[in-house]
Amino acid sequence: MADEDETKEYRWESGYEKTWEAIKEDDDGLLESNVADLVARAKRKRAALKDTGAIQLGMMRHLFVVVDASACMFLQDLKPTRFLCVLKLLEVFVHEFFDLNPISQLGILTTKMKRSEQITVLAGNQKKHIEALQQLKDLSCEGEPSLQNSLERAMNGLKNMPAYSSREILVLFGSLTTCDPGDIQKTIKSLKDNNIRVSIIGLAAEVRICQEIAKKTGGTYNVLIDDHHLKELILNQVQPPAVAGSMEASLVKMGFPGGSPIVNDGTSDSSADHAPAYCLCHIESETSSLMGPNGYNCPQCGSRYCELPVECKQCGLTLVSAPHLARSYHHLFPIKPFIERAQVRETTHCFACAKLFVEAETNVYECENCNQIVCLDCDLFIRETLHTCPGCASDPVTAQMKTN
Amino acid sequence: MEDKEERIETSLVAIVIDATPAKKFASQPLDGSSMMNRIFDSLIAFGNAHLMQASHNKLAIIACNSKSTKFLYPSMDGTSRSYHNRPGQYDMFAKVDSDVRHGLGELILNDMTDNDSTKSDSLLGGAMARALSYIHRVQRELSLSHQLKPRVLVVSGSCDSALQYMTFMNVFFTAQKENVVIDCCMMDTDSGLLQQGCDITGGQYLHIPSVAGLLEYLLWVFLPSPSCRSKIVLPPPTKVDYRAACFCHHKLVDIGWVCSVCLSIFCKFSIMCTTCNTEFKLNRPAIVPAKSKKRARIE
Repeated sequence: MADEDETKEYRWESGYEKTWEAIKEDDDGLLESNVADLVARAKRKRAALKDTGAIQLGMMRHLFVVVDASACMFLQDLKPTRFLCVLKLLEVFVHEFFDLNPISQLGILTTKMKRSEQITVLAGNQKKHIEALQQLKDLSCEGEPSLQNSLERAMNGLKNMPAYSSREILVLFGSLTTCDPGDIQKTIKSLKDNNIRVSIIGLAAEVRICQEIAKKTGGTYNVLIDDHHLKELILNQVQPPAVAGSMEASLVKMGFPGGSPIVNDGTSDSSADHAPAYCLCHIESETSSLMGPNGYNCPQCGSRYCELPVECKQCGLTLVSAPHLARSYHHLFPIKPFIERAQVRETTHCFACAKLFVEAETNVYECENCNQIVCLDCDLFIRETLHTCPGCASDPVTAQMKTN
Repeated sequence: MEDKEERIETSLVAIVIDATPAKKFASQPLDGSSMMNRIFDSLIAFGNAHLMQASHNKLAIIACNSKSTKFLYPSMDGTSRSYHNRPGQYDMFAKVDSDVRHGLGELILNDMTDNDSTKSDSLLGGAMARALSYIHRVQRELSLSHQLKPRVLVVSGSCDSALQYMTFMNVFFTAQKENVVIDCCMMDTDSGLLQQGCDITGGQYLHIPSVAGLLEYLLWVFLPSPSCRSKIVLPPPTKVDYRAACFCHHKLVDIGWVCSVCLSIFCKFSIMCTTCNTEFKLNRPAIVPAKSKKRARIE
């Protein structure tokens, strides 16, 4: 579905697939081992697909999520309703998004009654977005959506973002119609001029204009099969995209608020920096209270903040902590996929989890660098979550090569 | 089974022992025995104390030095060694005791025989990665009626190794994702990286002032599960230094330059990113206004 272009024939036009022929009984007449094998293969295939990333990624992303809130979102083909299902998945998405794209920003729009409404402005605080999504649950879905209005609105928000950031819009579109005030082709053109990538996930059936928008702006267009597929489609958007052709790269000045007053050799950290002060993020709200010595001081102007990452309200410096950046480094130093091997007698245990290899398991996986053997589950765990080969990290030579 | 209250809690502690300082401690005498023996005795006693708390509790011990990492318990040898248990001693304790002593002995002897003088860092990152893989497997294999409360306890005495930064960070974020708490008990030296790890995963970092009292510290601070730590009085949390080290000189920076493509950190402006080979445009729209404003204020 992902790389569907106009020349590709539709599913119903292609030949008949005999899916049941892939399943064969083993010697004992059981299907179990065969099914396990198929499942494992599917898992690996999915993981392999994810790996085809370019090294130059748009790590700083500005993304607007447009949620359709028109009458059709009350349909119950996704349980409990389309709208609630989408909101629930978006919560997961927001969480994962900030996990993988730590210094990116996200905003949420809805569209109903032929207009578009802003729910959250572009911001890097995931708590706010999740709260807003939870409040949206009580929203009534009515009227028709407007694709053009929401795209224009998102575009206005994204236009002024710095040129080095990747600007994106993700539309979750349930309706088959849209009510637009003008020529949507003009909108598509200006989206393209502004280097904004629009990806659309259709919740009903394929709509031509959506296909066209996605194609012209370099995004993807997918139509869901069921709620599991929808989850997969939404989570596919979490991975940072490859750098778009005309995006400028730039070095961005950032502040790393130091914590410890002892190790600092500079003059910036004096006792005044740890004196109680109001944090600038909550100073306008009524609940603001004097903070103790905890908190982060902007190294440029000394303003106090209670959490990171944040953009300094005083001097505009982006303040982050080192682990925020480190969270995305595994994109830079990806591990090589392990090679599938037939099981050999000499290695009786999985190197990573110390599991005893059993007869039924025919395939084991070997790291090219350190030649350690791991089991299938560890292979997936290492590739999807850990991003570090325990074998390489346990070898004095390869452990040091890993970090340039 | 649906009722969450009825799920049996299984507490898994994976102890990661850094055996690199063993040489240093081997020479320090203490009450007729060496400090090294005292440390290992303490660790085994702690492991057994954890197993004794509840019958479902699980234990894993992984050791590392600068040459390799090794599962001590459960041991990977496969051959069941004969172990002598003293009359009345619980079988499992005797097994832990013999496995750990045997494994540690092998590890340290390998290190001793191979005496090239190049001093390399301890492979703590690799050992922690293996601990997480093990925890992941136990979690997977556990039946639905059990609920795993995993944590990793790092007992180390060596300095930070900048070369393993990536491994450490990957381990910390994986632990955070999998709800694994990382606790850390440091002897002799302090470790900034492990401090960050404990802070990220919500664990306890403790730098013990006296190595001889290791067991007391372990039993006092690290034996209670993280859920009941709020009820006991623990050493105050250390202030964590979250400043970044630049990629070019491995120097801690307050204000740095970050590549927009790959997020590498540099301590001064350059025209090309050394990590991803991106060339930067020299007009810096986001930066110039900030500078001019500052200058205007000074004038």
